[in-house]
Order: sequence, then structure tokens, then C-alpha cells
Amino acid sequence: MLIRLSRFGLALPRLLSNPQTRFVSQSKPSGATVSPALTELHPVSEKAGHEEVSPFVKNPDYHGFSTDPVVDEWNMRVAFFMGISVALVIGGTFLRYLPDHGMREWARREAERVILQREKEGLPVIDENYYDPNKIILPSAEDK
Amino acid sequence: MLKILIPTLLLIPTSWLAKAKWLWPTTLLHSFIMTLFSLAWLKNTSETNWSTLNPYIATDPLSSPLLTLTCWLLPLMILASQDHLAQDPLVRQRIYITLLVTLQLSLIMAFAATELTMFYVMFETTLIPTLILITRWGNQMERLNAGTYFLFYTLATSLPLLITLLALQNKTGTLSLLIIQLLGPIPISPSVNIIWWTTSLLAFLVKMPLYGVHLWLPKAHVEAPIAGSMSLAAVLLKLGGYGMMRMMLILSPLAKELCYPFIILALWGVLMTSSICLRQTDLKSLIAYSSVSHMVLVAAAILIQTPWGLTGALILMIAHGLTSSALFCLPNTNYERTHSRTMILTRGSQMILPLMATWWLITCLANLALPPLPNLMGELIIISALLGWSTWTIIFTGAGALITRTYSLYMYLMTQRGPVPNHMISMNPSTSREHLLLTLHLLPLLLLVFKPTTIWGSAY
Repeated sequence: MLIRLSRFGLALPRLLSNPQTRFVSQSKPSGATVSPALTELHPVSEKAGHEEVSPFVKNPDYHGFSTDPVVDEWNMRVAFFMGISVALVIGGTFLRYLPDHGMREWARREAERVILQREKEGLPVIDENYYDPNKIILPSAEDK
Repeated sequence: MLKILIPTLLLIPTSWLAKAKWLWPTTLLHSFIMTLFSLAWLKNTSETNWSTLNPYIATDPLSSPLLTLTCWLLPLMILASQDHLAQDPLVRQRIYITLLVTLQLSLIMAFAATELTMFYVMFETTLIPTLILITRWGNQMERLNAGTYFLFYTLATSLPLLITLLALQNKTGTLSLLIIQLLGPIPISPSVNIIWWTTSLLAFLVKMPLYGVHLWLPKAHVEAPIAGSMSLAAVLLKLGGYGMMRMMLILSPLAKELCYPFIILALWGVLMTSSICLRQTDLKSLIAYSSVSHMVLVAAAILIQTPWGLTGALILMIAHGLTSSALFCLPNTNYERTHSRTMILTRGSQMILPLMATWWLITCLANLALPPLPNLMGELIIISALLGWSTWTIIFTGAGALITRTYSLYMYLMTQRGPVPNHMISMNPSTSREHLLLTLHLLPLLLLVFKPTTIWGSAY
């Protein structure tokens, strides 16, 4: 039964029986295609020459950090904890709750509130003059 | 600021004194702690914008996102380099980490400098570790040429910048950004004004890069090892943008017409570099040209000197930093398995490494500026600002945006879809390290959707 699982090849690295033939058509070459199947060009043999041994052979739980399993495990823990739990989660919370610098968010909320209130009361939303025209003292027209 | 600088400096002895098998976890832990502290810079504490102020160093809403990005990138560079350096002897691994840390230190001091002299010195200092990374740890023979282009393009334009800064010091008596921002236009004769303007900005325009002086970038990015590509794309290009934004304060607005040729070059560059992307065979080269096309848009936005232009430039710089760095990590995962960057040789990855295809998709979508990511927001603000400057720019920016989306999708489809090549007969599955690396690039980008005020800068 385990042999059937070998079709998953690299997904179950313990069973590296035929990794090289995972993506190769296993069907016999038909008469229409003249080229031989790839299995004949690349015979399945782990022993041929020096080949890269997958680190998953020695350490099925290889995380990508180190060939030493203990260091690999700890490196993974450090990386994931510091990267995600500390930096993204705690850092993200810090950034979310930063104070409203320059009262910009307050200004936006206040503006929306005031607009709603004025529209309800029927008042103009904003006065068209920025300064009160009565308070502006203009020099009288004099001939110079 | 010292609480970041001293730990960064002491990461060098850490990398030399750590035991052999605990070298990488130790340096990773150390760099993540510094990243956590660096988030404090994003809190703007003063009305005058300058926080963590001392005579030499300060942060303001323009530099703090860039500083945080720099500090965020060091653990990511360490994560990315672990695999390909595992074969190297221990001393070389330690030297590599030392180079990364030196680069980090000079970048932090460059972004945080208040004196333009210190900024200039640190700007030049970043060249050295990057040059060593490219020429020593690059994988192809072309790395020597790449290093030469990288060094001399930047040096040729930054030496005039040094002279300009000295002249400025002579004229105004100060080079401190805190004072210069209050000075107003410098009295210079109009003929000298042109030279002054050009020499101040050319160094940064080459760094950004501007189309026309961008040739160093594809070479350097392609030949650099992964950490080199990441830091080049994510941070070093932004040094140019940041420098431009600072120098613009000083330059007289009488030199407004001088912007014209550079803005035209920039807009044309968007079109040209995006089109070149569609014809690339080397995956890293495609991403390098994509970097050029985004940064050239940033350059145009800074040159028009409107508040929206500067805001859009900063947002796009941060978003592009994260996206581009992720985009370099992705073909590196392919390269570590197949030792090839040729696109047609690495097709059909979705069938082989389906989880990595998820990251390819999200990163390509980020690169093509999918809403609501800050990539789009930055681009939109820049396009609107350019539209306000001149209606005709929409032709360039619109066509450029269209081609950007085209080549991003092209990159995704070429690498992920299509028939699996016959020669790839044994590929290791994607490791947790690679998934984490990409998560740490893309999650901050997604989180920035919810708090864009962090990267708005002071002009908004």
C-alpha cells in the first residue's frame, strides 16, 4: 500500500523511491511520437555520480534553516515568533494605537459631525467668508 | 536613536563571536529585536516634525518609514541568505553578515542624518558593502562589470554633489536640514543656478534611477546575491528619492524650468522600461527593469514638488520596497533549486510548488498595483499630481501603468503556468523559511492598507 503513496513523491519525503520520475509521463511512448520517454533518458538511479541529496532525507522535518535538526527547529521558532508574533502582531498593535498626531483624525470626525448637525438644523454647512467681514478694517480711500 | 545604532553596531561582534551552528539564529534574533525597536520611530512626537532629535540625527515623517523599512529588511536579508551561504566556510558567513550590518548602519545614519555632510558620507558608505556583496558573492562572471557600473555611475555624479554641498556650506554657513528648511531661496547668480541645481540632484537621480542613467541597475540587481538584490531594490534606490526630497528644500524655485527635461525623461522612462520588461528573458532582469519603471515615476513625482507628489512618492517608495524585495526573493527560491534565471526554463512552477505560487500571485498582484494595496494608492496620487502639473502626462503614466500590469501578469503566467519543463526532475519542496520570508514581505504591505498614515509623510 505504501508503494501507492510513492506517487506523491516529494510530498512524503520519507518515500523518495522515485522522485525523479514524478513529472515524467509513465506511459509507453506511442508510435506517433518518435522520442523515447524521459525515463529512458534519465534512468532512475540515486547512485549515478554525485547528486545533491535532499536535506529532507536526513531530516524529514527540515524547515529550511539548517541541516542540524535541533538548530533548524530553534531557528524556525525564533524566526516565526519574532517575525510574526512579535514584530507583526505586537508592532501592528502599537502602530494601530498610535496617538492621533496633529489631530487630523479628530478633525475629520469633527467635520463630519458638524456637517451632519448643520444639515439637520438647516444652517449653511460653512460660512462663505473665512473671516468675519465686520471685523476687517479697511483704510478709507484717500488720494495720495 | 542610540538604542538602535548601538545594537546594530554590536551585531558585528555578535556575528563574529557567535558559535558556528547558532550564528544564523542569533543574528536573526538580534536583528528582529532591533526591528521591533525601530517601529517606535513611526510615532511622530513633535509639532515641528523632527523627533528623536539630537545635533546629528533626527527622524521626521519623511525619513521614519524609510528607516523602519531599512530595519525591517535586515532580518529578511538574513533569512534569505541562510540557504545559499550554508556551503560557504564559517568565516565567509561571518563576513557576509558583517557586510549586511555595515550596510544597515550606514543606511540608518543616512536616513536619520540632519547634516547634509553626514548624509553624503553615509550615502557613499553604503556603496562599499554593496559593491563587495555584488562582486564577491555574485554568481556569474558579469558581476565584476556590474560592480564597476554600480560604483562609477554613482561616484561620477556624487562627487559634484560633494562640491555643491561644500559651496552651500560656504554660502549659507550651515548644512543642517533643520536650518536649511527655514532659509528660503539661496542667492545665486542665474547662470550658476543651473549648475547648482544639476549637480545637487544628479547624484540622486542616478541612484533612483532616472531613465537614461539607469544602466547600472539591471546589472547590479541581477548579479547581486539575494541579500544584495533585496537591499538594493528595497532601500538603496530610496536613498536617491529621499536625498532628492531633502535637496529640493534648498534649491531655488527659479530653477523650475530645469525640471522639465528630467520629468520628460522620467515619463518616457516609465514607458520604455515597462516595454523592455516585456522582452526580458532573465527573470531577475525583468524585476530590475520593473524597479526602474516604478522608481522613475517616483522621480517624476518628486521633481514636480507638489505636496501630493511628495506624498505619493513616499507611499510608492515604501510599497515598492516591500514588493520589489519580495519579487527578488521569489526567483531566488527558483534559482536555489534550478540554478537558472531564464524564464522559459522555469515554467509551470504552480504544478511543482503550489504554495509558492500563492506568493507569486500576491506579489505579482502587488507589483501591478492592485487596489487597495499602497502600490496603487501611491501610483494614483502620483498620477493625479502629474496630471495637475500637465494634462499630457496622462498619456505616459496611463500607458505605462497599462504596460506595468501587462508585464506583471506576464511574469506570473510565464513562471507559474504553462507546461513543466522536462529537464527539472527533482525539486525540493518549498521550505518554511521561504514561506516565512515572503509572508514577512507581504503581510506588512497588507497591514499598510489599514494604516496608510504611517507612510504618508509630512507633506500630506
